[in-house]
Amino acid sequence: MKVQEDKKIGANAMRNNLLLFSAAILLLLSLAGSTYAHHATASFDMTNSATVKGTVTGYDWTNPHVYIYVDVKDAKGATEKWSVELASVGMLARAGWRRDTVKPGDEITVIGNRAKDGRPFLHLNKLVFANGQEMTQNAQ
Amino acid sequence: MRNQLIFSAAAVVAAFALSSATHAQSSAQQSPTPDISGVWQVTKYQPRMFPNGGAPLAPWGEAKFKAANPETNDPNLGCLPTGVPRLMFVPLPLEIVQTPTRVIIVHEGVQALREIYLNRQHPKDLDPTFSGDSVGKWEGDTLVVDTIGFNDKTWLDAVGLPHSEKMHVSERIHRADHDTLVDDATIDDPMAYTKPFTVQQLYKLRPGWEIQEYVCEENNKYTYQGK
Repeated sequence: MKVQEDKKIGANAMRNNLLLFSAAILLLLSLAGSTYAHHATASFDMTNSATVKGTVTGYDWTNPHVYIYVDVKDAKGATEKWSVELASVGMLARAGWRRDTVKPGDEITVIGNRAKDGRPFLHLNKLVFANGQEMTQNAQ
Repeated sequence: MRNQLIFSAAAVVAAFALSSATHAQSSAQQSPTPDISGVWQVTKYQPRMFPNGGAPLAPWGEAKFKAANPETNDPNLGCLPTGVPRLMFVPLPLEIVQTPTRVIIVHEGVQALREIYLNRQHPKDLDPTFSGDSVGKWEGDTLVVDTIGFNDKTWLDAVGLPHSEKMHVSERIHRADHDTLVDDATIDDPMAYTKPFTVQQLYKLRPGWEIQEYVCEENNKYTYQGK
């Protein structure tokens, strides 16, 4: 199972570390003011983070939000299609993102906040590429 | 149509920027006009004007606020204009351009253009609009802006504080230091609130930033269920 939500992670230490890490990310993002969405983030569970690992199938370099689409396989080999929502093109460009930063076929890990309604839909906090490179939405 | 509007706005801005330069040369003997031009970004996103609740809602405002749902009927979900004063709290950059007769705010969020007229009063019998009619004057280093003529189709903040067509917004905009701009906005709406209140927004100067295209309708996956 490559999709993990904090509540499903067994080790308390790992959970606490992840929560602390997520809190730090959220604090940084709120300070940077770059988590703005043209809609409220009320539809996402901003108090818990989730981690998704999979293969990129698409990347919308669009406004009002950029989206990454990820195929995630579970332990039985079934594929679940996830969508990841990011900020606007302008704000991401200021954070170092480009229209080809993410490509179909990339193996990525996304840490974010899942939609409260249970859809496979995340608000991105951090993206990690297979080579360890990390991207956030913090404007420079 | 929106793109045409943006191009027209850009042309107006460019024309006034040129006339501003000419004016600056011819009026070198006069006291200098304060300079608040540049690209600014809010220092902290404030989705709520009253983070701990307690907005002085009048009965009409209370009913509107109860009907507001950020997940279904925020006008932003439909890419409608943010309007004044909410526009000034949107954490996307804005550029201020000054001319002899206007202060022009070009906001990246929803590609909004806000014009503050320095050389006239409010017209009589204004049609209600999303951003109203703004007139301003300089008091020392502070730009004092008076805005009326609103429709009631926008929210004041991201959780749905309402306003009526009777809203009157008074702003005092000044540069606290070279890198910091302050907007103290006082909202007076006797139909929606029992008393006026003032909200402050700080901005940081962002040299090197340029306003980018932001077409909200391009890939909007949200549904607006308001009217």
